[in-house]
Amino acid sequence: MKTNHSIQATPYIRMISEDQIYQIHLATLEVLERVGVMVDNEEAMNLLREAGCYIHDNVAKIPAHLIEEAIRTAPPRIVMCDRDGNRKLFLEKNETYYGTGSDLPFTIDPYTQERRFTTKKDIENSAKTVDYLPNFDFFMSFGIATDVPEVTSDLHQLDAMVRNTKKPMIVTAHHRQGLLDQIHMCAAVRGGVEELREKPLIICYSEPVSPLKHTLEGTDKLLVCAEYGVPVVYTPGLMAGATAPATRAGAILQANAELLSGLVIHQLKVKGAPFVYGGVATIMDMMTSVLPYGSPEWHSNSIILTQMAQYYQLPIFSTGGCTDSLVFDQQAAAEATYTLLMANMSGANLIHDVGYLEQGLTACYDTLVFCDEIIDMVRRIRRNLEINEETLAIDVIEKVGPGGHFLTNPHTYKHWRNEMWVPKLINRERFEEWEAMGKPTMGDKCNKKAREILETYEPERLPEGVQEQLAAIIAKAEKRYLK
Amino acid sequence: MFNLKEISQAVISGDGVKVKDLCGKALDAGVKAEEIVKDGLIAGMNVIGTRFKAREIFIPEVLMAAQALYSGLELVRPLLAESGASQLGKCVIGTVKGDVHDIGKNLVIMMLEGAGFEVVDAGIDVTPEKFVQLVKEHKPQVLGLSALLTTTMPVMKETIAALKEAGLRGSVKVIIGGAPVTQVFADTIGADAYAADATVGVDRIRELLGAN
Repeated sequence: MKTNHSIQATPYIRMISEDQIYQIHLATLEVLERVGVMVDNEEAMNLLREAGCYIHDNVAKIPAHLIEEAIRTAPPRIVMCDRDGNRKLFLEKNETYYGTGSDLPFTIDPYTQERRFTTKKDIENSAKTVDYLPNFDFFMSFGIATDVPEVTSDLHQLDAMVRNTKKPMIVTAHHRQGLLDQIHMCAAVRGGVEELREKPLIICYSEPVSPLKHTLEGTDKLLVCAEYGVPVVYTPGLMAGATAPATRAGAILQANAELLSGLVIHQLKVKGAPFVYGGVATIMDMMTSVLPYGSPEWHSNSIILTQMAQYYQLPIFSTGGCTDSLVFDQQAAAEATYTLLMANMSGANLIHDVGYLEQGLTACYDTLVFCDEIIDMVRRIRRNLEINEETLAIDVIEKVGPGGHFLTNPHTYKHWRNEMWVPKLINRERFEEWEAMGKPTMGDKCNKKAREILETYEPERLPEGVQEQLAAIIAKAEKRYLK
Repeated sequence: MFNLKEISQAVISGDGVKVKDLCGKALDAGVKAEEIVKDGLIAGMNVIGTRFKAREIFIPEVLMAAQALYSGLELVRPLLAESGASQLGKCVIGTVKGDVHDIGKNLVIMMLEGAGFEVVDAGIDVTPEKFVQLVKEHKPQVLGLSALLTTTMPVMKETIAALKEAGLRGSVKVIIGGAPVTQVFADTIGADAYAADATVGVDRIRELLGAN
C-alpha cells in the first residue's frame, strides 16, 4: 500500500455541508423551544410535562437538552428479520433497501389495464410479486383492501402480506387497537411477543400532521411501538408552500422539528426503543394543488434529510421509484428511474413507494417489474470500484498491444461477468431482432413478466396453524367493532 | 470406443488444451477426422450456439469455446479428406477501403472459426482490387465485407462490381455486415446476404452454403 493513499470506491453525494447540517439542527432547537408542537395525546403530554417541557394548553415547547438526550438514546441501527427469523435488513449508515409504499386506493389491472379499486387479492398478488422480485427487500401493502370490512382492513392487509411474502414489512394501522392486533398477528407468526421484539418482522408507519402537530392516533402508535419494541417509522408528509414554508430550508427545518419532537415522545416512553427517521418533504403543486411524487424538490430534499438522519445516527426512511403519471408510460419510467438513482446515491436505508403511480393513488404491477430492473441497475452504478494491479490490467494491455483486441484475452473471460451489468428487460436488440420479436416495448415486457409472476410463482406458505391464528385474531376484532 | 462427447464437453467448457489432447487421443484410437469434427467439435459448438441464443451464456464464453474448438481443428484439419475439408467451407473477410474498424470483423472471424470454417483475414482498409485478388488466390465460397462508417458503405457496391468485372461473381457468395448496413442496402447493391451480428452471420453463411 502506498503512503498517504486514500480510497473512494463509490459515487459520493452530499447536498449540504456539516456546518449547514448543524445550522439546521440549531434552528430546529429554536423552533421547538420557541414555537413548540401541538400534542393531542394525553399520555404523551404527561411524559413531556414530567420531563420538563413548557406546556401551554395542548402545545409543548421542548428544551434542547431533551432533544439531545432522545437523539443519544435512540439506537443507531436496527436489524429487520424475515418471516423465518433471518437477519436481513441492516438499517445502518449507507445500507440501502427497496420496497413498495402502502394503501393505494386504485390498482391498474394487469389484464385489462383498467384503473379499478384495489382489493385484498391485489395485496396478496403484490406481496407475491415483491416476494419474487430479487431487488425488493421489504414490502408495504401497496394497496388498500377495499373489499373487506373497513374497520379491520388494516388487519386484512397484514394477513394478505404475511401469507404471501417472507420479506420484512412496514405496516399501517388504523389506530392503537389496530396496531395491537397487528402486533399479536406478527407474534403468532414469530412465536411470541418477546420473540418479535428480538427479531423484528414489521416496522409500523406513523405520521405527524404538518405543521407541527402530533395527533392522537399518530402518537399512540409511537407509544405502542416503544412499549412492544416494534420499530416505528415516523414521517412527516409536508407540502412546501401549504403545510410548510415554501423555502426548502424552512420545509426541511420544519420536518426535522416534527421528527425530533416525535422522537422525544418515543424515547420518553422507552429509552432505546427503535426509531426510524422519516424523510418526506415535497411541495404543493401550485397548478393543480396535488402532492407531487416525482417533484425534484422532494427527491433533493430527501438527500438533505438523509444527511440529517446520518448526522443524528438514526436509520432513515426515504422515497424512490414513484411517479405522478397516471399510467406506466414514458414519464413514469423517467421519474421512477431518476428518483431510484438519487435515493440510491443518498444512502438512505428504506426506499419506499417503489411502483407508485398517480401522486400516490394507484398501484401498478408492471411498474414494480420495471423498477426491479432499474434498482438492479442503480445498485450496479453504486457498486465498489476496485483499483489494483489485476484491475488496472497493465500486463494485459501490454500483451494485447496497440491495434489488438481483448475479446479472447483470458482477462476478459475472467472479469467481464463481474464487471459488466447484464440487463433482463432493458432493450439492446438490433432492429431486425427486435422486429422479429414483434417490436415489444418496455411496457409490453413488464406487463408480460408481471402476469407470468402472478400465474406461476408460488410463495412459501406459513407454517401449519398460523394462518388459522391470524384469521381468529381478525374475527375477534371484527366482532369487537361490529357488535 | 472413444467417446466423442468428451471432446464436445471440453469445447463447451472452453478448455483448448483438453480439446487438443482429446482430439489426439481420438485419432490414436482410430476415429476418423471427419467424425471428430462433426460429432465432437461442431457438436459441442452447437450446444454453445443454442445456449448463447437462449441468453444463458455470452460472447466471451462463446469465444472461449470457439478458440477451444479451433485448437482441436488445427490438429485434425490436415487429416481431413479433401471432400470433408471443403464441406466446412472457406471464407475471405475484410473491412472495406476507407474503414479501419476491425473489432466487428474480428468477432465474425472468431465465430466462423468456432463453427469450423477456414477463414482468410483480409484485414482493414481493403480495396476492391485486393478483394478480387484474394478471391482468385484462395477460391473461397464466401466473401464477407464489413463497414462501420456510412461513408465507406459504397465501397461494398464497388467491390461487388469489381468481382463481376473479373468474372468471379458467380463463384463466390457475398455477405455484408456492420452497424449502418441493412438488408435493404444489401438488396440494393446485389449482395447475397446480410447479417446484423456475428452469430447471425455464421447462420447466414451456413444457409448460403446449403449446410445446416
